[in-house]
Amino acid sequence: MLRAVTTERASQPRRISELCVAMLGVTGAGVSMVTSSGHHSIVCATDSVSARIEDLQLTLGEGPCVDAVRTGTPILVRDLDEPDDVAVERWPAFMEGAAKAGVRAVFAFPLHIGAIRVGALDLYRDRPGELGHERLSGALMAADAAALALLHLDLNDLDNLDHTAGTDADENPATQQLQVHQATGMVQVQLNVTTEQAFLMLRARAFSTGRPLVDVAIDVVERRLRFSTEDQ
Amino acid sequence: MNDDRQASPLRPGREQALAETFVVLADTLVDDYDIVDLLDRLVAACVQLLGATAAGLLLDDQRGSLAVVASSSEQTRLLEIFQLQNNEGPCLDCVRAGAPVAIGDLDVALPRWPLFVPAALAAGFHSVTAVPLRLREQTIGGLNLFGDAAAAFSLDDQRLAQALADVATIGILQRRSAHRSTMIAEQLQHALNSRIVVEQAKGVLAERNTTDMDAAFDAIRQHARNHNLKLTDVALAVVRGDLAPAVVAPAAGSRRADGEDL
Repeated sequence: MLRAVTTERASQPRRISELCVAMLGVTGAGVSMVTSSGHHSIVCATDSVSARIEDLQLTLGEGPCVDAVRTGTPILVRDLDEPDDVAVERWPAFMEGAAKAGVRAVFAFPLHIGAIRVGALDLYRDRPGELGHERLSGALMAADAAALALLHLDLNDLDNLDHTAGTDADENPATQQLQVHQATGMVQVQLNVTTEQAFLMLRARAFSTGRPLVDVAIDVVERRLRFSTEDQ
Repeated sequence: MNDDRQASPLRPGREQALAETFVVLADTLVDDYDIVDLLDRLVAACVQLLGATAAGLLLDDQRGSLAVVASSSEQTRLLEIFQLQNNEGPCLDCVRAGAPVAIGDLDVALPRWPLFVPAALAAGFHSVTAVPLRLREQTIGGLNLFGDAAAAFSLDDQRLAQALADVATIGILQRRSAHRSTMIAEQLQHALNSRIVVEQAKGVLAERNTTDMDAAFDAIRQHARNHNLKLTDVALAVVRGDLAPAVVAPAAGSRRADGEDL
């Protein structure tokens, strides 16, 4: 049962990965997941080389995606053959494996919302070169959507939240609206839940009341709205 | 304060304060500095040195929006005025053009920004200046200053604002990893995500200790400085529950449960 639900929801990260390949001029894309317990796993990959990139990093515990998750910073490697551009000292085994697989450029994006860390989106290309400004924007937005999709995947007991995942075009959870993040911290304490759960609760309340997320967040911050365990 | 603006270079003690600010900023920029801490000090310096009523720093989030990364106050209304500039306003114009925008009397600018001006006036602001955070051809954000009187910031003030904006740009972009050159996108996203961690921590502390967001931020800042920790690390520990909210106590007159030195 759980497996069936999980597999169906994994279709969203897969769609996001496929869109990246179609829109961002990359050869392949993959999403990996870090659960709250720190366990890494591969969610999806668009081709065998992408799967290899994910697998290498999972096995070796090193590479751009590992660093992206650890530091919360995108790691953009335009040319694996350019010594100044890569961390040969830091990723020796990954470099060797990636080169063998025909990878020339890797762009790893953390799936983070502040302290919430759910995984990484890895894009690769068989040619060197920068991603470029427009495509970088696209990749960051894809990462935002993938982060939301994975949040729901991780918390698969929250079935009623499924429909809210990653569909709000007018909303930019990763960076805008500081009040959303302040409210997340407050709700986390009010309900004694994880940051991930608090963020989803906030989104669920916005969805169920048909209000913009930021408005609900401001109500929480201004203490006009409190979440209580009885509501849930 | 605002009457002094035209004569600001002669304002007593300003040179001293300016020198001290740059010393503090230079100290902050060495080794492994915290970007949220640095930008927070910068907006505080803007208020202090330029006689601004409020100051904020907005960065291009590379998704088509401007995101607030530092603000001299945490009031929701001020944050909303900054965020409103994703639609229109001096900071948006400044970032788009990569050039300063200075308005001495906001009333006059109503036709230009029909949404922004009423909101700014309602908050008690009557003048505004925005200077770009620029690296060569690329503009990565804007420093936004508000005054409570309808008087333009002097040219000297604008130059100083630009100097502080340049420090912010360096601070955001120069953080290099030990092993590889990094790119603007990496640094920008790092700064933006660090700020989100701090916001989440403020929420945790504000709720747990029943304080407002300013006091919650003060508590994080003080704890980081007292214990020589990075602000973002303290914030992350608070959000993850590795650091009990009672330990990061509100700044003023609070009893410290752990009995540690302040």
